[in-house]
Parts: sequence; structure tokens; C-alpha cells
Amino acid sequence: MRRSWTHWARAAAVGVVSLTMVAACSGRSTTDSGGGGGQVTLKINFWGDFGLQDLKTRYEADHPNVKIQLNSGEYNAQHEDLQKKLVAGSGAADIAAIDEGFMVQFRSQSDKFVNLLDKGAGSYESKYLPWKWKQSLSADGKTQIGLGTDVGGLAMCYRTDLFAAAGLPTGRDQVSALWPTWDRFIQVGQQYTGRTKKKFLDSGTNLFNPILGQQPVGFYDDQEQLRMEQGPKVAFDYTITAVQAGLSANLASFQADWDKGFTAGSFAVLACPAWMLGHIKDTAPGTQGKWDIAAVPGGGGNWGGSFLTIPKQGRHVDEAYQLLEWLVQPEQQIEIFKKVGNLPSQPALYADPAIADFKNPFFNDAPVGQIFPKMAQGLTPQYLGRKNGPTRVAVENVINRVQNKTLKPDAAWAEAVKEAEKARTS
Amino acid sequence: MPTTRAAPPSSHHPGSASAAGTGRPSGWRDRLYRFDMRYLPYLMIAPFFLLFGVFGLFPLLFNGVVALRNYRLDDPTLPYWAGVANFTRLLGDEDFWNALYNTFGIFLLSSVPQLLLALVVASLLNRKLRAQTWWRVGVLLPYVTPIVASTMVFSAFFSRSFGMANWLLAEVGIGGTGDAAIDWRADKPHAWIAIATMVNWKWIGYNALLYLAAMQSIPRDVYEASAIDGAGPWRQLWRITVPMIQPVIVFTVVLSTIGGLQLFTEPMLFDLNAQAATGGPNGEWQTIAQLIYKVGWKDLNLGYAAAMSWALFLIILLVTGLNILLTNRLSGGHR
Repeated sequence: MRRSWTHWARAAAVGVVSLTMVAACSGRSTTDSGGGGGQVTLKINFWGDFGLQDLKTRYEADHPNVKIQLNSGEYNAQHEDLQKKLVAGSGAADIAAIDEGFMVQFRSQSDKFVNLLDKGAGSYESKYLPWKWKQSLSADGKTQIGLGTDVGGLAMCYRTDLFAAAGLPTGRDQVSALWPTWDRFIQVGQQYTGRTKKKFLDSGTNLFNPILGQQPVGFYDDQEQLRMEQGPKVAFDYTITAVQAGLSANLASFQADWDKGFTAGSFAVLACPAWMLGHIKDTAPGTQGKWDIAAVPGGGGNWGGSFLTIPKQGRHVDEAYQLLEWLVQPEQQIEIFKKVGNLPSQPALYADPAIADFKNPFFNDAPVGQIFPKMAQGLTPQYLGRKNGPTRVAVENVINRVQNKTLKPDAAWAEAVKEAEKARTS
Repeated sequence: MPTTRAAPPSSHHPGSASAAGTGRPSGWRDRLYRFDMRYLPYLMIAPFFLLFGVFGLFPLLFNGVVALRNYRLDDPTLPYWAGVANFTRLLGDEDFWNALYNTFGIFLLSSVPQLLLALVVASLLNRKLRAQTWWRVGVLLPYVTPIVASTMVFSAFFSRSFGMANWLLAEVGIGGTGDAAIDWRADKPHAWIAIATMVNWKWIGYNALLYLAAMQSIPRDVYEASAIDGAGPWRQLWRITVPMIQPVIVFTVVLSTIGGLQLFTEPMLFDLNAQAATGGPNGEWQTIAQLIYKVGWKDLNLGYAAAMSWALFLIILLVTGLNILLTNRLSGGHR
């Protein structure tokens, strides 16, 4: 009797435990996000360092009923997590950061986000860089899913020592004057490669993307038609010319070989947004003072930058919007710039001495507070189609095949068109 | 507490339970006894099936439903049901066939050497060795290493410009530096070999230990008798060991088939642009699992990805069945 009772109890215990486990997975937990008295917890998902730590303390002090939970994760993982939570219908953060590179994907699901225009965000349109505002706007222009935080801008970082060794000028104004256009840029590269027998550029894809970004129409026009023969063709031709001339070291960004290339001098120039400066400094601390920053050929560019959005499924969207609005105010944006160097996307702030007078000692005291804003402002808004991401990857892959010599340069364009068409229908 | 609710009130105190139990009518005891014998085993194994149902069977079936739907995250305007459109599209999709080709190529390059080498390692470990435990634990170390960590090290090992693989090969006169360096990511053979190396490195030790455990149950006198008849170690391995551990071999073949056809982490992280999940600029080493991930989360076409998952499921069933048949034949079994 006693034996059977313990058996039974054990079995029941196992059953209850497993049932609880199943129940725990089947829905949101019953505990509410705060205690009594209208306490609200707002969770912000982002990656890296958005410079929010001090702002959180300050906001919580001013709003005793709000607790902010900062959740920094890995760049790709955060976006994927957000996508999964949107499909699942629950579990997303109250405020989710989205990078430019993922914006098109989420913008096309604008019904899953709070339309910030309904909350009165329309008044901020004039304060933002026009292309930045447009990036997070739905295709029909009726839903704004996010407010911009930072932009990357785009300039060219170059090695003064390698330039000097190749008999090229080294001053940043002289170098900028050396390549007003991409044709001239490629000529400079040929000179460099001819004299030193070394590669000039890190990768062809990092030439393709800035050039494409400067074209009036990108892969898709605003009717969602693939327009390979216009902008992409221009950028592609320049890229293949540069690759054929042997300028590219064919190193994929953020990979081991690429990182080693900084210290080994595998390339003398690379396209450089504001946030890249920190990466170069961390990767190749020994190259201090050997870098400088010149203008990007063609006169403008951007690479990267983020937005803050409010997923509709959140339970405190009003409080979340209040916080979001507070975060994009000039005062807070300047503080973030001082803290982590993220360049704001509101041009009026570029005149602020904190930004305008900022120089970077690692890069020969280059006035980065002048260079990057100028490049960011020189960019005209471009419509990014729904399939922009996959199409870009497909065309980049064709460039990579030319670079690793598995595809003949003269067959490359036809292949690029074919692959882009495949990506469009994927 | 729900667990005590079914118990009689007097049994709350264990001390008094046995005393109270003697005065109880025997029908109750009988019923409890019968319950114990008849239903308890089912109750005990129920948690497993419950969890399997929630995390195994339900996703499988739900996946089947999704496969028949238009489930595009970036285009909610499509009609709800797609019928078999996702499956018919699969047949004409060159990406799918390319991924299937890659998967089988890498699977063959990894599973066959892996199991053969594991057999050799196991028979070596089965001899009298110094520091026996050290060797046996040693071969398992790759298996213990987190797969992401080891793959990232291998990815750097196989890099073109500064990779150790090229450096080592250049020492023996293969490849070279600069433009002569082997680009491991440029074509199928090189990429497949690189990825198969990662898989082999990780699983040889694990399989060897499984074989070793089976080998130790083979009676010594069989070997002694064959030695008297003049059989060398090689002949013993193939004529005695392999047939006698045949069930374990079948088991490892099944496991490595399932694992090999679901290969994901290695090809994913081998890619320089891992986030694109294209498995190389021209899909040189994109496996089916990777393609499913790409179609689902990069192209945002969940319905089509679900159809691919089902296709993969059927392919695995088919290949596993074939492999069991083949292994039974080759290792001299009769079933």
C-alpha cells in the first residue's frame, strides 16, 4: 500500500511538472509588468550601445511610474527575434530598434507597428533628413513606423602612409580633390596599384553599394518595378571595372581576413561611415595616426543607421511613444553623440558645437563632426523596394563571383540581371 | 497541492498512514493495485509523449498545414490557401535542387570517412593502451566543444589570405600565397571538403566511443580462435568486429544520416556573409536546412519554407531507410 502510494505520488508529480512546463510555454505569464499604482515597465530592444544607460536613469527619475528595461542583444538576433514575435503576435519589446538594413522588411509589415503619425509624429518630418524620414515610411506613405536615431553618413578612410609610399598626396582636402567622381577614383586606384603592386580597395561590393546609393533610382522604382538597367547598371559597371583593374582585395567586411587587412595594409581605402571609425580603432590600434578621412566621390552617401519603433502588440504603447518622443529630442540626441558617437539624423543638430567641433585623434584629428554630416546631407532619398535586401545580396554575390574568378567579367551583367530577377520573385 | 488531493485524508502524516491503511476495505486496495499495474507505466511515460506532442508532433503537423498556405510575411494580401502550389514550385526550383545536391555531397564526404575512421579509432582504443582513459576522453573532446565556437575557428582556419589550412598546404607544396592561395569558398569541391572536415572532426570521436562500447561486449575467445586460424587485425576488424557490432553501426548510420541531411550551423557560419544564408556567392555549399532558413526568414516566405521542410522530412525518411538496408547487407547482417 505504502509503496503504491509513493509510486502514485511520483507519477502525479511528474505529470504536474510536465503540464506546468507545457502551460508555461503556451501563453504570456499571468504576472503583470508592474506593481500597483499604474506602474509601467517599458522594454527597449537594441544591439550594441545606443548610449541609453544615463538617459534611462534620468527618465525614470522624471517619471516615477515608468521603469525602463534596456535589452541589448546581437545585431542580427534582435531583428530576427522581432520578426518572430511579430508573427507570434506577442512578446515583442515595447520599443524595438530596427536598422536601416532591415527597415524595408519591417516597413512592409507596417500594420504590425503603431503608426506614429497617429500619435502626432508628423510634426517631426521637417526636422529629419528627408531620406531618413522616408526610409521608415510605408510604401503608400500613410504609416510611419519609426523615428530615426542615428545615421552613418559615408566618407572614405584612407591610409596616409600607404598613399605617401605610392607617391599620392596625403592631405584630406587634396585627396578629396583627387577623386570628385568615381571615374577619377578608379584612376587613382590604378595609379596606386600600378606603383605598389598592392590592392587599393577592400572589396568590390563596398564600391557598388555607395555608388548605387547615389543614384536617383535604386534596384526598384516606386512602382516596385525592377530597374536594373539604370542605377544598378551604373554602379555595377564601375565595380567590375575596378575589379578587372585588380584594385579589389576581395575581402568580405567584418571577417577575419578583412580585419587582418587593416593591420597588414591589404588595402589603402575603404568606404567608411561614422560608426566604422570605432571598428578601425579597435581592430588595428597600431595604425593610429596613419589614417585620414576624405570625401566620398560623387558627393554623398550613407551606410547604416537606426530607427526606434513601437510594435502594436505592446500593452503600453502610449507610454512607449512618450519615451520614444523624448529620446529623439535634440538634447538627448546630442548626449548620445557625446557618449557613443552616434551621429543624429536631424540636420539642425549638426550646427551644435558638440558635433561641429568634434575631431578624431586616431584619424589625424580629422573633423568628423563636419565630414559625416555633410555626406549625410548630400544624399537624395531613394525608394527601397520590398525585395531590396535579397536583390542586393544576389547582385553582391555576382560581384563576389567575379572577384573570386569563377565568373567571367563580360558575362557578369547578364548573370546579375538574372539573379536579381530571381531575388525579386523569391 | 494537487498531488495530495487524491490521497485519503489520513495519509497526510506518513507515520499514521500504515496504521490507517490496515482498517481500509480491501476493494480500495485492489483497485489501487490494479491501477498501479495497468495504468501507471503509461502515466510514467506520458510526460515524454506530452513534450514530444507539443514540441515534435504538433510543429510537424502544423508545418504541413502552413505548407499548403500562402504565408508571406511581406505580402499579406495573397489568398489564404495555396493548395499544392508550394510543392509544385519546389520541383522547378533550381535553388532547391542545388541545395539537395550540396547536402548529399557534403553528407557523403562527411558520413563515409567519419564512420570508417571512427571504426578504426575504436579498434585502436580497444587494445591495451597506456593512459587508456585519457585517450578515450580525448577523442570525445571535439564532441563536447560548442559547435558555433569550433565552426568559427574552422572558418578562420579555411580563410583565403591568412588561413592556417593554406599555410599548412603550402608547406607541402599545394596552393601557395597571394593569388595562388586556395579560395576555399570559391567552388563546390573545396567548400564541401572544408565543411565535411568540420563535421568529421566533431563526430569521429563520438561514433568511436559508441563502437568501442559495442566492441567490448564481443567475447575475447572469438578473437583468439581467429588469431589461431591466422587472421590479422585488419581481417579481424572486418570479419569479426563489424558483423558483431552491426546493430550499433546501423544506429550510427541512421544518426549521421539524419544529422548530415539537416546540416545547418557549419555551412551557415562558413559563409563570409553568414546573414544572407546563401551558402556562398553562387550557393556553392548551401544545404537544404540553410535554404529553408533563407526562404523563411530572409525571403519571408514561410509557406514555401514549410513545404521545403516537409520535402526534407520525406527525403530523410527515404535515405535513412535505404541506408539501413544497405548497412545490413554490407555488414553481413540478416534481417
